[in-house]
Amino acid sequence: MRTILPGDKISDTPLRAENTIVEGGKTYATVIGMLDETKGAFIPLETVWYPREGDYVIGIVENSKNRVYTVYMESPFRGLILPPPRPRFRDMRHEHTERQEVLQIGDVVSAFVREVKRESDQIILILDRPRRLMGGKLIDVRPSKVPRILGRANTMLTQLQDMTKSTILVGLNGLVWLKGGNVPLAQRAIAKIQDEAHINGLTERIKEMLAANSGTSGA
Amino acid sequence: MGGSGEKPQLIVDGKRLDGRAFDELRPIRIEADVLKNAEGSAYLEWGDNKVLAAVYGPKEAQPKHIADPNRAIIKCRYQMAPFSSLEEHGRTGPNRRAIEISKVTKEVFENVILLDQFPGSEIDIFVEVLQSDGGTRAAGITAAAVALASSGIPMRDIPYAVSAGRIGEHMVLDVNKIEDNYSDADMPVAIAPRSGDMLLLQMDGALTKEQVSEGLAMVRKAGETIVRAQREALEAKYR
Repeated sequence: MRTILPGDKISDTPLRAENTIVEGGKTYATVIGMLDETKGAFIPLETVWYPREGDYVIGIVENSKNRVYTVYMESPFRGLILPPPRPRFRDMRHEHTERQEVLQIGDVVSAFVREVKRESDQIILILDRPRRLMGGKLIDVRPSKVPRILGRANTMLTQLQDMTKSTILVGLNGLVWLKGGNVPLAQRAIAKIQDEAHINGLTERIKEMLAANSGTSGA
Repeated sequence: MGGSGEKPQLIVDGKRLDGRAFDELRPIRIEADVLKNAEGSAYLEWGDNKVLAAVYGPKEAQPKHIADPNRAIIKCRYQMAPFSSLEEHGRTGPNRRAIEISKVTKEVFENVILLDQFPGSEIDIFVEVLQSDGGTRAAGITAAAVALASSGIPMRDIPYAVSAGRIGEHMVLDVNKIEDNYSDADMPVAIAPRSGDMLLLQMDGALTKEQVSEGLAMVRKAGETIVRAQREALEAKYR
């Protein structure tokens, strides 16, 4: 593994990979990362979140008008929750109507990105399946560290939830919602994951840290 | 340039006043990610210069009318702290010099950041000079480049900057405060090391074509040392 900085060459051939650019037929990194030369994989260490359809996100409702909610997502992209489509007569008869969740300004919501729309002045994210998150604590993390907080096949997140007894929802946009259990311990563990994301054996270290501190009260 | 009073002798026995050779840089030390709340930050000591750079964003451009629908915009603020030098920098708000340096710093980074990935948004770059000893615009650009790289904002390259100057018939590298005040010319340059593109070239005073070439050659050679310091600062984060 080799540390790569913006502008460093990754390949002598043009590659289509995220966080890279191709100039003069060669591929260069655009962010800090690690290059696994045996697999030819570039793993970014610091990135800005760029939305994709299907991304799970967490945001704060900042405006509502005509049943359209605007969601702040700690990023340059603004989320929109639109009212469900008006049901056709036949659907109504079969009660297939979808109810829209009523939200207030300031509510924390989780949702999925249904569509990434390039509007005239900015990129708008159409959000789907919004869910209001009651109470709890919202913290921000570096979006590039989210994959480490989740772990491979969510192993890290499962471990965090099991050992702190907290409910933890991780938005890919870098907002994390925690509720119940030992929230301060979960927060400390998430901070440690962010600081040590690049060092091997992270899952074990976090497990030890959680085991050593699980006796301490969360309050 | 611009010094008043009697001009001191800037070269004594073939050496500069601080004992450096003509093409010698002052010692550089950079630390990345020093501020908790910034997306990216860097602290730089370059001789007696002490500079702090911080980067925020990309975030929604405010006010709305300044947003560019096709790309992100950069807002840059270079400022000297009131206690940073012997001269007066305590006025409220930026002065003419700070506005100029903010503008040229912004233009340097407009050429390396992939702005088209974030339409309608803004990226804020703050450069605070805590202590100054000449060459602070170059120090600010060098520090801000490290801060940007540590923030994860996509960039083509990590630029560096340094100034060359002329004392009598000698071209010198990395002019300090007293040389800046009394030298015959001063030429700050910023370069993207991978492509070799020149991102900033300013000149105060008079230089011949040959002297400009000599100065630029010194700058490019010194770039290797500055780039190494920038790399070490960023790599130290992941050790």
